[in-house]
Amino acid sequence: MQISGSNELVEQILKNDLCVACGACVGLCPYFKVYRGKVAMTFPCDLTQGRCYAYCPKTEVDYDNLSQTFYGKPYQGSALGEYRRIAASRAGDKMISGPFQNGGTVSALMTLALKTGMIDAAVLTDSDGLIPVPRLITKEEEVVQCASAKYVASPTLSCVNKGVEEGYDRIGVVGTPCQMTAVAQMKCNLLDKADFKDPIAFTVGLFCTWALDFRTFVDFLSDRLDLSTICSMDIPPPPAEVLIVKTADKDIEIPLSDIRPLVLKGCSVCPDMTAEWADVSVGAYEGKPGWNTLIIRSEKGEVMVDEAVKEGFLIVDELPALNLAHLIQGADGKKRRARENIEKAAAGNDSERNKQPAVTENWKMSSFQ
Amino acid sequence: MTRIADDHKGTSHLLMGNEAIARGALEAGVSVAAGYPGTPSSEIISTLAKVPKEHNLYVEWSTNEKVAMEVAAAASFAGLRSMCVLKQNGVNVAADFLLHLSGSGTRGGIIIVPCDDPGALSSINEGESRHFARLLEIPLLEPGNFQEAKDMTKWAFELSEEIRNLVMVRSVTRLSHASGNVIFGELPKEAPRAFFKHDGFILDPMEGIVVSVPVSYRHGQQHEKLKKSIEIFETSPFNIYTGPDNPELLIITASVCDLYTREAVHILGLQDRVGVLKLGTTWPLPPKLMEKVMGRTDKILIIEEVIPFLEENVKILASELAPKIGIKTFFGKRDGSLPMAGELNPDLIISVLVKIFSMRYESMPSSYAEKAETYALKAAPARDLTFCPGCPHRASFWSIHNVLKMDNQEGFVCGDIGCYSLATLPTGFMSLKTMHSMGSGTGVASGFGKLDQFGMEQPILSVCGDSTFFHSVMPALVNAVHHKSNITVVVLDNSGTAMTGFQPHPGLKVDARGNEAPNIDIQAVCEAIGAKVKTSDPFDFDGTQKALFDLLEDKEGVKVLILKQICALSPEKKEKKMFEMSVNIEECLGQSCGCNRLCTRIFRCPGLVWDKDNQTARIDEAICTGCGVCANICPSGAIKKEEVA
Ligand SMILES: Cc1cc2nc3c(=O)[nH]c(=O)nc-3n(C[C@H](O)[C@H](O)[C@H](O)COP(=O)(O)OP(=O)(O)OC[C@H]3O[C@@H](n4cnc5c(N)ncnc54)[C@H](O)[C@@H]3O)c2cc1C
Ligand code: SF4
Ligand code: SF4
Repeated sequence: MQISGSNELVEQILKNDLCVACGACVGLCPYFKVYRGKVAMTFPCDLTQGRCYAYCPKTEVDYDNLSQTFYGKPYQGSALGEYRRIAASRAGDKMISGPFQNGGTVSALMTLALKTGMIDAAVLTDSDGLIPVPRLITKEEEVVQCASAKYVASPTLSCVNKGVEEGYDRIGVVGTPCQMTAVAQMKCNLLDKADFKDPIAFTVGLFCTWALDFRTFVDFLSDRLDLSTICSMDIPPPPAEVLIVKTADKDIEIPLSDIRPLVLKGCSVCPDMTAEWADVSVGAYEGKPGWNTLIIRSEKGEVMVDEAVKEGFLIVDELPALNLAHLIQGADGKKRRARENIEKAAAGNDSERNKQPAVTENWKMSSFQ
Repeated sequence: MTRIADDHKGTSHLLMGNEAIARGALEAGVSVAAGYPGTPSSEIISTLAKVPKEHNLYVEWSTNEKVAMEVAAAASFAGLRSMCVLKQNGVNVAADFLLHLSGSGTRGGIIIVPCDDPGALSSINEGESRHFARLLEIPLLEPGNFQEAKDMTKWAFELSEEIRNLVMVRSVTRLSHASGNVIFGELPKEAPRAFFKHDGFILDPMEGIVVSVPVSYRHGQQHEKLKKSIEIFETSPFNIYTGPDNPELLIITASVCDLYTREAVHILGLQDRVGVLKLGTTWPLPPKLMEKVMGRTDKILIIEEVIPFLEENVKILASELAPKIGIKTFFGKRDGSLPMAGELNPDLIISVLVKIFSMRYESMPSSYAEKAETYALKAAPARDLTFCPGCPHRASFWSIHNVLKMDNQEGFVCGDIGCYSLATLPTGFMSLKTMHSMGSGTGVASGFGKLDQFGMEQPILSVCGDSTFFHSVMPALVNAVHHKSNITVVVLDNSGTAMTGFQPHPGLKVDARGNEAPNIDIQAVCEAIGAKVKTSDPFDFDGTQKALFDLLEDKEGVKVLILKQICALSPEKKEKKMFEMSVNIEECLGQSCGCNRLCTRIFRCPGLVWDKDNQTARIDEAICTGCGVCANICPSGAIKKEEVA
């Protein structure tokens, strides 16, 4: 796999509007910055290889290498990726309550990880009104402040870079599948640095089908309501097909068909629904509000979940076979759509093809054997 | 520079051309001098501003050239002698008033002194003021050396009174900024009194009202005045012919080109074959003199810089005189002998003469020339045009650039003339995308800001200096506010007209003579016009960038950001370090991923140097002004600042 530098990142990803603003490149150096949900390179850098390019989940990703590193075998391309166990879960009685998106599994695991010292800092996503605000926190009680899902893309991983800069070396990260892909690459020493140390101790991935582009979403909403009145947002599991915007006095339902045009272009070529490179992945529980679907992938993830159950931070139950079937169906569907979109782009005219070189070539080769 | 007011007649002084002009004005008894700073003209006003108080002069740096001309005109109307000083493009600014002034006529002797800049050594144009003389129908005088700079200036006032109209005395960079010996004349003793007569017979030029109407009457009068000037020019001692009675070639030239010409003729030993007519009065040309001189030869070479102004006027006369003097062969710009652009020099003139006379000439052996060139290239380090160390503009454009890039909507900056024009180059991160005349950045931005109805969504910024703000930005700002143009104007307020040497402007508490003066507050002016205003210190990156982001997010109307920080070269700041700077080489990331020499590759303050041997950045203490700004850009905090006690 060819690791290039920032110029290629700009040409292949930013200029093609494939950036999903994960934040992996932001704050690594003085050149990549994010403002109102958009990543920009402020000055040219002439290095031929950079961490920015190596970490970006939208440049060529060597899935075989990741799979070898984390699971000791080549990448299989199965719907849900490698896992040990799939369960239903929610926060236990010992976990303080908060405005959880679903069952609070994510917040509970992060709180416990900080409490036990398994991680020395956590990278989470808070919000200021509609704007997702990446945060680097060190106190357990700060975890619930970041609870609930922000459906707008967030440059959360910029806080991983900040954490490393500040000297944390057991960082916990919660993020979307693209962010988990970037984090996995951050853990791999792709540039073969002699003094490399993996600074990340624990990762929780979120299920994700798409995220919204901050700027277009804000324009869309501000045409319809007063942004300052928004309290939270939710996308109930299918078949609801709506985005619910909760304001102080009422809930506003926006059909997903109106929202889809505001989805990041980079999401349309994303093959991962369940955050395949995280220690554990968490999503909604179809038909059971207040609960999560939990995929335990790594050994570390398993130890953590067991400990959380033991400590009363987590309640785990069985996931019905029908739910699992739906989950696989959903994940497969995302992979299929991504493949179609990539192929469409690749089969398009030459200029179209030139627009997505790294992504199209690579994904055809490695993610969908 | 009080020697300029030295009262000893007949003494010789080494003077800069601009000082010689100032001395000439003093000898003429000038009472009022007004101007707007602009290289190469600025020293004339600043020299006069330093003349001791007992000379009872009134000197001002006016808000702009038009106002300067108006201020000088008032003195003339009141019977005093006065002058207006400006650089070439300043004449354009004053042009509207000038057209009316030459129509109305004047009373006390009044001159306009434009200093042109052939070769644009310190300009962004090669504009010419000479053709204004023809346009305005006023006499044009061009001194050819330092003594003449003084003598012709003095004489210009007399001529103005003779014809009761404005006279132009034109200088160029190489006269204004070079020095030569000047023998002083007498300074006048009488103290003139100002009084404006306005109740005499309405058409009386000295007692009636001063207006350019009725136009055909006054215009006719103006032509009578021109005829009178021509009469005077026929015998002017400033038009000098030297050379044989019947030269093989006649050179007609003026201004500093006379010096170049004489050097070239001398070097080639052509004194016996070439005649030189050096003209001091270049418009309107005196036909009798021209007939006499042109009649001596068949071949005529006209030597002048930039536009073929003299050449065209000579050719018109020559065709009118053809029945008497015969048909001539001309060399000059129109036949390609001399270039239309750039300065001339003796070598260029030598090459033309060599061609006309089919001579062989080598100024230096080519092997020597080659050697000299390679050594010059080797020995002289390559240097960028750059903002000074500690310059607030570098900090301002750092923030502007970063904000526009992060905002990521392809916003851009419209600019104009000032030190900040350098922001078209890497030193200002190439932020300026348009650059034209004074104040034009905001006017152009005002126009861009109305293109939203044609789908333009890019954020639009303009920048201007504090002096420029008063000079010509205010009307553009009013226009933008009135038309709800969505723009952000950044005023780079460095507390002075820095580019031309810290002349005061209306925003400061001091005037040209150093007297206390009421200052006009830029923020209050902008607010009164109806703009939303924020002020920040450009050295405070966070505050400045936040302010700029806030203003850009506001999509309604005109926003102004005043970035206030004194120029690094200002007398207040010079040689005073705020911080002692150093680089901790352990922490410096150098060329590795994570920095890649941000400070020496991008920020590029000359105070920061790249130490190739150690592969780290370093502070050059001799150059660093201790502003402390670079400490805020270093991603690893390796650049340390320590407050100087
Ligand atoms: C953009 C997005 C799309 C999603 N799409 C699906 C989906 O299609 N199907 C599904 O089952 N689940 C989806 N989820 C996951 C789901 O909404 C819940 O986040 C998940 O079920 C965890 O619930 P919880 O109650 O444990 O979370 P909580 O305990 O409330 O914690 C939520 C955590 O998510 C993090 N977070 C919030 N927003 C973001 C963001 N934009 N980027 C990174 N991290 C963030 C916060 O740091 C917080 O720690 C999505 C989440 C996001 C952010
Ligand atoms: S997807 Fe992430 S790493 Fe790639 S360019 Fe965007 S923010 Fe940077
Ligand atoms: S910006 Fe800082 S880290 Fe980068 S080269 Fe300069 S001193 Fe070194």
